[in-house]
Amino acid sequence: MKLEPGMAFDTKVQNKVFAFLSILLLLSTVWVILDDYIRPWKAVQIKALDIKKEVLGEKLKAVKASVKPEEVAALKKAIEAGQKIRDSRQAEVDALKKELGETQAKIYAQKIINGADGSSSSAMTFQWEMKKEHGKDAAAKKLKGKLDALNIKWGKGKDYFKQLTTDEKNVLNAIAAKSKELKLAQKDYKEKAGKLDMTQEAYDSASFFSDPINFLRNAPFIDYLDPTIKIQQVVAENITEDRYFKQTEKVDRCMTCHTFIDKPGYEKKDNPYKTHPNLNLMVGADSPHPMKKTGCTTCHGGEGQRVFDFNAAEHRPENEKQKQEWIAKYHYHEGHKIAQPIRKKSQTEAGCVKCHQGKEFIPQADRLNKGRQLVQTYGCYGCHKIKGWEHLRKPGPSLYKISSKVSKEWTKNWVWFPRHFNPKTKMPHYFNQSNNSKPEFLKKNVAEVNSIVEYLFKNSKSFSPFTRYNGGNADKGKALIQNVGCISCHQVEGIGNDFNKVGSKKGPYLTGLGSKVSGDWLVSWLMRPSHYQEDTVMPSFRLSKREASDMTSYLLTLKNKKFSEMKFSDLDRSVRDELLLEYFSSFDTIAVAKTKLAGLDDHQRTLELGKRSIGKFGCYSCHNIDGFEGRSPIGVDLTNEGSKPVTQLAFGHEHIEHKRDVWFKNHMLNPRRWDRGNNKGFKDLLRMPNFFMSEEDADLLTVFLLGQNSEKVPMAGQKNLNEYEVAEEKGHRVMSKYNCYGCHNIDGMGGDILKATAYADDPNEAPPILAGQGHRVHTDWFYNFLGNVHTIRPWLKVRMPTFNLSNEEKNTIVDGFRARKKLPVFEEKPEKVVWEPGERAAAKKLITEYACDSCHTLGFNKDEPMAPNLHHAKNRLRASWIEKWLKDPQSVMPGTTMPNFFADGEAQEPSILGGSVDRQVTALRKYIQEIGEKEFPEAGWYEATGFKKPE
Amino acid sequence: MEALKEFVNILSGPQYSFTLTLIMFYLLMKYYRIIGTKKFAWGFVILMTPVYLWFMSDDVFRTIIATPDNIPISILLFSVFFFTWLTVHKAAINDERIEAGECPIEGLPENREKVWSWPNLVYNELFVIIAGTIFLIVWAIIFKAPLEEPANPTWAPNPAKAPWYFLGLQEMLVYFDPWMAGVVLPVFIIIGLVAIPYIDTNPKGNGYYTFSERKMAISCFMFGWLVLWIFLIIIGTFLRGPNWTFYGPFEYWDFHKVVAEANINLSEIIWIKMLGTTMPSNLIVREIFGIFVILAYFGISGAMITKKWGQDILEKTGKIRYYFFLFLVLFMATLPIKMYLRWLFTLKYIVALPEWELNL
Repeated sequence: MKLEPGMAFDTKVQNKVFAFLSILLLLSTVWVILDDYIRPWKAVQIKALDIKKEVLGEKLKAVKASVKPEEVAALKKAIEAGQKIRDSRQAEVDALKKELGETQAKIYAQKIINGADGSSSSAMTFQWEMKKEHGKDAAAKKLKGKLDALNIKWGKGKDYFKQLTTDEKNVLNAIAAKSKELKLAQKDYKEKAGKLDMTQEAYDSASFFSDPINFLRNAPFIDYLDPTIKIQQVVAENITEDRYFKQTEKVDRCMTCHTFIDKPGYEKKDNPYKTHPNLNLMVGADSPHPMKKTGCTTCHGGEGQRVFDFNAAEHRPENEKQKQEWIAKYHYHEGHKIAQPIRKKSQTEAGCVKCHQGKEFIPQADRLNKGRQLVQTYGCYGCHKIKGWEHLRKPGPSLYKISSKVSKEWTKNWVWFPRHFNPKTKMPHYFNQSNNSKPEFLKKNVAEVNSIVEYLFKNSKSFSPFTRYNGGNADKGKALIQNVGCISCHQVEGIGNDFNKVGSKKGPYLTGLGSKVSGDWLVSWLMRPSHYQEDTVMPSFRLSKREASDMTSYLLTLKNKKFSEMKFSDLDRSVRDELLLEYFSSFDTIAVAKTKLAGLDDHQRTLELGKRSIGKFGCYSCHNIDGFEGRSPIGVDLTNEGSKPVTQLAFGHEHIEHKRDVWFKNHMLNPRRWDRGNNKGFKDLLRMPNFFMSEEDADLLTVFLLGQNSEKVPMAGQKNLNEYEVAEEKGHRVMSKYNCYGCHNIDGMGGDILKATAYADDPNEAPPILAGQGHRVHTDWFYNFLGNVHTIRPWLKVRMPTFNLSNEEKNTIVDGFRARKKLPVFEEKPEKVVWEPGERAAAKKLITEYACDSCHTLGFNKDEPMAPNLHHAKNRLRASWIEKWLKDPQSVMPGTTMPNFFADGEAQEPSILGGSVDRQVTALRKYIQEIGEKEFPEAGWYEATGFKKPE
Repeated sequence: MEALKEFVNILSGPQYSFTLTLIMFYLLMKYYRIIGTKKFAWGFVILMTPVYLWFMSDDVFRTIIATPDNIPISILLFSVFFFTWLTVHKAAINDERIEAGECPIEGLPENREKVWSWPNLVYNELFVIIAGTIFLIVWAIIFKAPLEEPANPTWAPNPAKAPWYFLGLQEMLVYFDPWMAGVVLPVFIIIGLVAIPYIDTNPKGNGYYTFSERKMAISCFMFGWLVLWIFLIIIGTFLRGPNWTFYGPFEYWDFHKVVAEANINLSEIIWIKMLGTTMPSNLIVREIFGIFVILAYFGISGAMITKKWGQDILEKTGKIRYYFFLFLVLFMATLPIKMYLRWLFTLKYIVALPEWELNL
């Protein structure tokens, strides 16, 4: 085709190209709009409506079942009848309405007049005052006349207005009276069947398709006006998040998809339509963490604004199985560079920590608490500084007097591989690990262990047991160990699973003692542990020499023959010197190092290497060792470990997921694994020891570590402990130190010993439950008791031991209990009981009638006692508690054998004191106080019981 | 296969790949007539496709190429290849015609005919605008914006990379002081580009493709463009990983890769290594050799170049144009020179005056 001159292209063809491109542009524009409009969370919300309808349908069914159809029909009929009566009075109503209209018109007019008069009066008053003030008396007088007249007029107007409003009210009442019957019928209906209508209405409107206007409201482009399907969000109170260097209020939009998270009734639905599983604690409006205040990501982690779809929110699968499920269901994949993914479900409790500071255990945070318990059990805090954990004592026993307790040979073999001796030991393993089992490393390790032990024994203080072991009865000793209370802290070889299932790890697993310590040492230790170690937490059970000897006799039968036959390799002096040279040449040349070495004699060299090795492995972090006082622990500070960038965690050549929690867990399972495949020299090998931890323990510790992060919450958003809570926590820490929880269940926590079969079968044989102890006992009695433990329940085989408590510790425990009940420190104890006339006689009668002395026999008869001595109650128990206890023992201490004489608010003995519960209880309390002895322990008590009086 | 990959990894090291690029550039300039044939182009495509597919079959390489950030670079790469060949192709044809005494294709009567700019030009431009818009829209829908994590001064992403078009500059930071690589060199690039129409007053090549008539000008420009800009972007994008460490195309970006870097200054080489004395405390004395080298580079080599090749241009363009041009070219050449000095002698700076923020 020939083109016109001046034309390079055919315009017709160009027009076609233009048309084609324009259509493409239009299509891509439509695509953009749709891409923006169609959002996965909208589908979720539409489906949520269906689910809501389903739930409402069930509710409607239930409501329908509760109201009879005939009844509804009758109620509706009554309304119709009422309506008819009302209609018959239409003419009267019309007349009244006309009257009402006239009155209201007058009211309107008068309101305007009164308003004008009122404001004129105020203005005139001001003018008059001014004139008078400035001495213009004549003008003032003239004005006063006018003002008075105006005020009279205004007053009349106001009065008339009142008259009119009264009239109006009367007419309105008259009108209402005309439809009285109808109103009554309607009210009746609303009361009896109104719920049906409401539920029905809710049911009918609970669907996207129920109302055509919904389509319009949610249509593209106009859906910004008032959509029904929209992003839901909460702005958390006092909780901030770091947004580009600025702390801003936390905004969470999770409820856009988790539509019913805060609404009960959806517990059985699948996610995301499920109700929160713990609505009473979390999310629920009445819970301590309401959704509107706390948000979601505060605890769960994650970024609250990520709502596009399942993947955008950055959920984290719990395990591989869930991951596969999610892949199948949501095409799950990990996002691109997400700073804060949601925590795994099992790690959610790590989110508690940032707000709940200052408490060792956070109520209901079970996994976190278990993790924290493990930190204590394994003694992580010994080597790793953790802010808030500084108060804890060193996890291992003191080595100040080691030479008098064990032999060198034993110690070497022990340090080399503790599990050879004690398969359940908490002592972690430094040697024979995956990174130091090469022959050349083993040789050096042997030299180190030899030197360490040499150092320890050289620096050990001398000690000699205060008594001698002269043999004992092993069977009796075994029974004592089973019964006296050892099992609340120790597991003991050979005493049977019934007792060992308490499973406490507070003290060491007792095994092989016959191959470890001498009889003299053991007797002396059992009788008075503080004699060997001043600051021990091992208490004295006030054992007689006989008892201690019997126990010793049993414990010495536990032997580890294989272990005692082991011979530890001798110190290789050349290896020792080689190691020392390496130390010396860290900062000096080899020549200087050699001179330094030559300056030391053989023994000095060994001690030098011993000291350096103790420093290297951080033995002093857990054990008191002479020469290492005040040294900082060797581990990494864990205070903010949970925020450590993943890139700072050394994954080495391990083929595992590069995630923080994965690293933590694997680190705990085998801390030396990161050295695999590294070409490291001996001194650079990883040193964190192996705890032979179970996967479960590693998981729990991971939760703990993730909680130790640097997330910041403003003070106002945190849980700030009040004075009571602070005192309670302090008390708890002391009790935790001495493992009071091992025996006592204290307000629902602890009581491990109850797991032993004997106690589980008969709780009355077990150490008492301390429920509301702060209310139960007088603080001064309690304080005294902790210092001078004596028998309260003589039938018990298990003994309350005497702890090595300082005065401050005793005070702290007592105050902690008091603070739990928010009570004043002292409650009055009457010097002399004041009786009402006849009350005392009634009290005595009650004692007999209720047969108090059949259990509380002490001081009443010679029968075997089954309950504490009432003669000690006055000084021990608070009066208010005695009354509370008498009225309902089960509510104070569930499971107690104390009978309830006042069940359901009725006295079992109605003839005494008019059968009044209060009067009977008061009389009993007064009687108990009257027979109560003045001082405690009373004179002659020690002699009578045979216990040794403490010095 | 693994050995081959390993070989490619080594070969991609900046020192080798830069040298290779230089050689290829030389070959391109020298044998442009062969390269400019369609036969060669097809042969190249047929040869390179399986190579490309082989590269793509590697997980590591594919991950890097398919990262949304890097897609523009791939597009850039292919378009640079194509358009470079296209110019060479056209220039080759024209040069042949010119040698044969004919006029260039653009000079043929049918190509000299004038047409209306509307609708012949403007209408077509509109098409391109629309098509470009569609392309961008679709691209934006399919590939979401590759955002990094929220910025955090205490936790920078690693590698922290500039926008792709600046990756050449970022690569220069390896060899130069930030002040040089980030400020001085880019400023001279801009000045140089702005100055081209004022320096280059030669009318030859206007309106038609040719190489033989403008050998020097085209070589200079293409060297700066292909070797010093495009090549460095490719290196910076595909081959620089965490810690700005070099990674071969098949090498996993291991965060913990360790490379030995111990660079020393010229002054240290001379004073300590060669003269065996301590470093003089006077800064100027200390760096006197470097300063001399720099001055000599611009002075002596400038004079030598002028004497050997420059007389002709000097006469044609005048002194100001010529010396300004010479300065720019010499300045451009400092980049490859410095790179080679680094690779061959682990040279850090020729003049090291950190006290004055002046390192050359």
